[in-house]
Amino acid sequence: MAEASSSITEKFFLTLKSSDGDEFVLEESIAIQSITIKNMVEDGCSSSVIPLSKVDTETLIKVIEYMKMHSSTSSNEEEIENFDKKFVSNSINTILNILEAANFLDINNLLELCAEAVANRIKNKTPEAVRKIFNITSDFTPEEEAEIRNETPWAFEGNLDHSLD
Amino acid sequence: MESKVDEASDRRAQHSKPMNHSQLPSSSIQDSSFNRVLILPPELITEILLRLPVKSLLKFRCVSKSWLSLISSPEFVNTHLSTCVNNTEYTHHRLMLGLDKGLKVYSVRSLLYEDESVEATHLDFPTKGYFSIVGSVNGLICLRTGPNNMLLWNPSMRKLKNCTAFIAAPKGVFYLWGFGYDEVHDDYKVVRMFYAINGGNSCDVKVEIYSLKSDSWKGIDGFQYGKIHSCLGKLVNGKLHWITSGAHPGSNDGDIIFIDLADEKWGVLEQPCHGENEFYFNLGVLGSYLSVFRTYQSTWADVWVMKEYGVKESWAKIYTIKFDEDIPKHGRSPLFCKSNKGGEN
Repeated sequence: MAEASSSITEKFFLTLKSSDGDEFVLEESIAIQSITIKNMVEDGCSSSVIPLSKVDTETLIKVIEYMKMHSSTSSNEEEIENFDKKFVSNSINTILNILEAANFLDINNLLELCAEAVANRIKNKTPEAVRKIFNITSDFTPEEEAEIRNETPWAFEGNLDHSLD
Repeated sequence: MESKVDEASDRRAQHSKPMNHSQLPSSSIQDSSFNRVLILPPELITEILLRLPVKSLLKFRCVSKSWLSLISSPEFVNTHLSTCVNNTEYTHHRLMLGLDKGLKVYSVRSLLYEDESVEATHLDFPTKGYFSIVGSVNGLICLRTGPNNMLLWNPSMRKLKNCTAFIAAPKGVFYLWGFGYDEVHDDYKVVRMFYAINGGNSCDVKVEIYSLKSDSWKGIDGFQYGKIHSCLGKLVNGKLHWITSGAHPGSNDGDIIFIDLADEKWGVLEQPCHGENEFYFNLGVLGSYLSVFRTYQSTWADVWVMKEYGVKESWAKIYTIKFDEDIPKHGRSPLFCKSNKGGEN
């Protein structure tokens, strides 16, 4: 907490380090949208580099873009809305990585945005596509799976989306 | 699920850098953007699934055993329901109109926002004969299909339950129905009343209540309010409300009565104060509030809401609506009400 004695008009900066070893310098007021980082700052653990071992560089860049847009006083509602729309058009795998990072960094708005986006993207998909996206191997026997499908056959009707993104 | 997640975090801990493709099991490489094995913790899977419509959830029960058990768990079902009901964007809310050729369903969101075109769909109709909507709670719909018959219908799950009333009503009686949710017992209940129309104000009203949980009817005593003017009970605060007929049916000398669905006892609610003007009134639900719609001399209407349930002083007049001359006198009642807090009528 050595910085606490500095002038109040001075901007504080934090250095975040991704799991790939890349460092990013970010204004403290922006970074503390992450409750995990905020707690570290309050506990006085932020004087050196903050290592984010669970967030890779590509994901951290996206998270920082999001935090900058959502904290900046100059962004208006429309700008933020457009940014969010574009943000969720990233590949589903990228969004899943950001979702995991948002959970680790405890950024609730970002977590909700990503969870909603993933739900929208998978709602019309086949169970097979969903398994591939989430890296799940089915542990049902073919008979068990057929039985579940037969309980609500209409849930499998309509235009199902086989794509993985 | 648990063991898989633990395994995944262990693997990640050993490799501080993302794994390259050669380290992945070949079946996982489906897309060039998949640069590491991503296995989400169960709480994030839950966050995603909570935002899916029921049809998708039923479909994804066959993804894996852990997805099946998550989607089927009562805890998940309850959280999913409250997430949908409390969604302030009205993404999952539907306005249902019973028309001659069946039921038409409108997306509430598309009705509220001008930039969206109105989405309307026909629902697969559960009954071929006569029907009328009694009410809906938490996506469960109650339809009456005859003097002694009703259907409880969950259109999302396409489940249907046929019920016949306990007491077969004699011919020529007047019916009243109400449908609601008893939070105390986590039960859905239907109230049915009937009485013979024999002139005068004294009459013997028979009341019976159906519980979905016990799948049974029972008679309720203690009704002492004469005749009832409004037909369908309005559900607020776990209680179903009706208006009684005063000396002049529908005019300002009627009372608001209710039955508490938890203890199945009757009571009377105090109304907002009114002046000398004569009016006719109707009950409604605005957001989570009981509301009163008072029509004065067919020229204007006041809308009141009871902001704190059971407190007379909390009645507040929130709108006054002037009527156009060319609208027929008797075609006026609120169709749909919205508030920022969610809920619909």
